[in-house]
Amino acid sequence: MFALCDCNNFYASAERLFRPELCGVPVVVLSNNDGCVIARSEEAKLCGIKMGDPEFLVRDQIKKYDIKVFSSNYVLYGDMSERVMENLSRWFPRLDVYSIDEAFGRLDGVQDLHNYIPKVRASVVQNTGIPVSIGVGPTKTLAKLANKIAKKNGGTYILDTPDSITKAVNSFPIDDLWGIGRQYLKKINDLKLDIKTVGQLRELPEMWFKKNMTVQGQRMWNELWGRPAINIEDQLDSKKAITVSRSFRNYITEPDMLSEAVTTYASRLAEKLRREGLRCTYLQVFMYTNEHREDHPQHFPTQTVKMAMATNTTHDLVKTATVIARKLFKQGMKYRKAGVIAKVLMPESELQLNMFNHHDEGKLDKISAVLDHVNLAYGRGTVRMASEGYKKAWRLKHEWLSKGYTTRWHDIIKAK
Amino acid sequence: MIRVLQQRAEQKIMGFQSPANDYLEGRLNIADILVIDPHCTYYFQMDSAAMKNYGIRSGDILVIDKSLTPIDGTIVVAFIHGCYYCRVYELQGNKPALVGEEDRIETTDGEVLQIWGVVTSICRNMLPAPLRKGKYKRVCTL
Repeated sequence: MFALCDCNNFYASAERLFRPELCGVPVVVLSNNDGCVIARSEEAKLCGIKMGDPEFLVRDQIKKYDIKVFSSNYVLYGDMSERVMENLSRWFPRLDVYSIDEAFGRLDGVQDLHNYIPKVRASVVQNTGIPVSIGVGPTKTLAKLANKIAKKNGGTYILDTPDSITKAVNSFPIDDLWGIGRQYLKKINDLKLDIKTVGQLRELPEMWFKKNMTVQGQRMWNELWGRPAINIEDQLDSKKAITVSRSFRNYITEPDMLSEAVTTYASRLAEKLRREGLRCTYLQVFMYTNEHREDHPQHFPTQTVKMAMATNTTHDLVKTATVIARKLFKQGMKYRKAGVIAKVLMPESELQLNMFNHHDEGKLDKISAVLDHVNLAYGRGTVRMASEGYKKAWRLKHEWLSKGYTTRWHDIIKAK
Repeated sequence: MIRVLQQRAEQKIMGFQSPANDYLEGRLNIADILVIDPHCTYYFQMDSAAMKNYGIRSGDILVIDKSLTPIDGTIVVAFIHGCYYCRVYELQGNKPALVGEEDRIETTDGEVLQIWGVVTSICRNMLPAPLRKGKYKRVCTL
């Protein structure tokens, strides 16, 4: 049996945890650079705010319903996520974290699920203050489906008998099913089979799924009949590339400023690689102008280079990234976003030496290790590359950013 | 700042291997005593003298555990009337109240007293002002 545990409106709930006065008040959280709505409290959903609505389009509603707006505070969400996952992992023999706010737990050997699962939920909610829902089923797809039902059913829902599964799928709309994207939905609708519920969908023969929805569809069909076929662990293990990219606060029109931004992203990338114990063989740099502005000249350059040797030192990645960025930069363009991607990743232990390069990375590796060490103790960015610049005028807009309640001593809450 | 720096400066052994190397236990860390469960622990700061006679002064760091349910007499952080309060939780009959040195906060009808967490310990800087400089500035101060 699998359990899918999922935080309800996670970002909004995390903000509200430290601002209890916002209980019952509609809350939305905006994406990076305060662009679009990426999380909504239940109250905000009732105000008609949709996922992905651009902030400037819902300004009237925000004012009308007195909706509380937050910029995304990933430092806070990251810490709260860790707390939730750690608390969850105490209840399951194995927990696979699937995203920042959801995880699959194994329930092998657990007796009396109807008693156990509500206990898990109550404990996690008490210990973290974040509301979670737990759905249980014999496969991941059914656990996910049960989770959606749990959200409207007191927080837990268990599909443990063929009857309970049949009952659940027969009233479950296909557009809410895990693995059914817009494309498949369109395909199913185009075939005019008059399929509305998951119960109807799974009555179609296996070959139909294989033919119309590839092997993934076949897996889904098996999962809907209670036979585990999806293996997320494998997907999670093979990280193929790591990206760091951000939009700028204002357009960047100067090569120096672009170089500053790219330096910052590249050193962040190097940090991520080291944390994962990986080195990258290829480095890609890209930048975008604003494609929605037809009056602006457009430029979407990208270039990938092979590193002389697989690397994860800040020095190497920053140097390469800034050289590419300056080369790609075109005068007269207004760039709105840039990013760096590390590709073809290999474990640090498998370093291949190049016969033309004497391996002097030892020194840079040491510098990087010291860098990580100091930044871990004193906060990110304490020691950084000078080329990151000081003012960072291009840095993200986050007008409504909450504090680092759990990560910065200066930001802890004061009690009377 | 309670953060563990695990890596020590590399020491090259010039002469003899220390016989103590077979008996390493790891140095004491105060967080082991102050923090019961790091994943359920939060830190707040006391910002008033309301709990002075209970031993909490303004400026003290409150170590808060969210996993505990308070009983009568527990020091808690609670949210009511739009504010966080650190007070003694009193449960007489069915009506909970927050009690401080000079005040008593009760819920009126329809109000909920939101217990945010239980205060398990406090941290305080005991240095006289002239010594609070350089690296000692950071001892339990913000």
